Amino acid sequence: MLVTGIKSKPVYAPLQADTRGRFHLMLGMGVGAAPLLRVIDEMRSASAHSLKHTRVLFVSEAGAAAAEVAHGGPAQGAPATAPGIEQFNAAALGEVQIFAHPQPLLDQFRAILEQSLMGTRLYVAGPESFIGLAMKIALEFNLNKDEIRAEECGTLARRVYCIHCRSTTENVRHNIVRCVGCERWLLVRDHYSRRLAAYMGVMVDAEAPGELPPLKEVFL
Amino acid sequence: LNDAQTIAVEVTGIEQVTPLIKHFRLAPVGGGELPVFSGGSHIIVVMQGAERVHRNPYSLLGSPNELGTYEIGVRRMEESRGGSHFMHDTIQVGSRLEIAHPVNLFGLDKIARKHLLIAGGIGITPFLAQLEDLHDGAVPYELHYSVRAAEHAAFLERLRRLAGARLHMYYDSEGRLIPFEALLANQPLGTHVYVCGPAGMIQHVISTAHACGWPDSHIHWEQFSAPPVGDALRCFSRARKSACMYHPIKACSKASRRPASKCPICAAAASAASATPKFWSWMGSWCTTIIFCRTRKRPRRRASCPACRARIANAWCWTCSVEQGVDP
Repeated sequence: MLVTGIKSKPVYAPLQADTRGRFHLMLGMGVGAAPLLRVIDEMRSASAHSLKHTRVLFVSEAGAAAAEVAHGGPAQGAPATAPGIEQFNAAALGEVQIFAHPQPLLDQFRAILEQSLMGTRLYVAGPESFIGLAMKIALEFNLNKDEIRAEECGTLARRVYCIHCRSTTENVRHNIVRCVGCERWLLVRDHYSRRLAAYMGVMVDAEAPGELPPLKEVFL
Repeated sequence: LNDAQTIAVEVTGIEQVTPLIKHFRLAPVGGGELPVFSGGSHIIVVMQGAERVHRNPYSLLGSPNELGTYEIGVRRMEESRGGSHFMHDTIQVGSRLEIAHPVNLFGLDKIARKHLLIAGGIGITPFLAQLEDLHDGAVPYELHYSVRAAEHAAFLERLRRLAGARLHMYYDSEGRLIPFEALLANQPLGTHVYVCGPAGMIQHVISTAHACGWPDSHIHWEQFSAPPVGDALRCFSRARKSACMYHPIKACSKASRRPASKCPICAAAASAASATPKFWSWMGSWCTTIIFCRTRKRPRRRASCPACRARIANAWCWTCSVEQGVDP
């Protein structure tokens, strides 16, 4: 039933430092710390100067887990080996801000973009839904693919936009989900909207009410 | 080029706006309206000269809302291949010309948060039409216009009316230069820069923007003046490393990496009298300056224009070529 090879499904690549930029803004969540620290290392070896113009906004592992619990998803224990916040602080960056929840981070991100100048590069590392929400804000500021790099790591849980009632269900891990707005059973498709930062959800039993395909946990 | 692709127009007005620039109004023969265009578009004017046909691109500078006439500004080029001299010396009110449909390779980015427009000399022309689009003030913009001296500032009244305080004038004679570094280093996120003017100015804006961390997708430029005849010509073998398109010999590819004034194999000189349009064709000259050596009557394979990716059948891109042949 799922169509594969959908062009709108985002493809992410491992983060790489872009030293052509003058300012570097990094957003991370949970296990996204590792790719960001890797980029910081790359930048340090390229030129120590650029680290002064680097800002990091980060949602800690605990915050990431709490966000999932708040949306009804299963909480995950933080891997003990995950790079910590101390490593950002030790990297002598321009500024490091740690948040307990993604939403205040995104609010701060928007405030920073309003003040930012041309020559800024954005690095995002974290779960796809976090990347999507950050990209959505970046698009409003006309940042494009030359200025944004994103690496997906962490949960594959999706934001699903119901095409019937237009509400968005967060943290969807199953191929079929009950919409939070209209309680229809939605089939989660690979069609992605960058504007909404969500995948499309279509009523799955519209033609034969009550006939649901098997429920599978596919977006782990 | 067949007749169906061109529109017959009549010159309805000529005005000498600066010592070097003439302003022409073109109306369709027989009345009616000309094709719709957007700010930044250009047309190719086909002129029947005494010895050869000139095909020169000129930006449309009138309002995109007024389609009864097209307006173009023509600067008299010192090292002309003949086109601008023909427009200045031969064309009178009432003269007939052929023009191609307008094409836009210099449009404004529709989702930009701010536009930074930089013009040098005659490079102001595409911006005049764009200002009509920007007139509603929904998107902030700045126009920086640099000219040699006050008497060379073309279309100043119209610019003041359209842009008002957003127009910044710079006169070389007063030693005022556009502060490129300060401008490009302090633009808000989502700004697009557009530059049209002399080649040196365009290069400087591009390199300064790169130094300030601008990605290419935010830098737009257009240059119509072709490079000097006989210089910086490259045989068309860039894409194929093994051999030149027409001379499958390895030496050609090596030689072609250097600017050459003649084809390394057939030695057809670009600047000599033997270089007629039959042998040399010009394509996309303001993007990559590629010279197309054509010793056979038909190319073996089709090439595509580097500027607009249009396929070129006869080494001549109708959409964006400057001129069909290099005038010796």
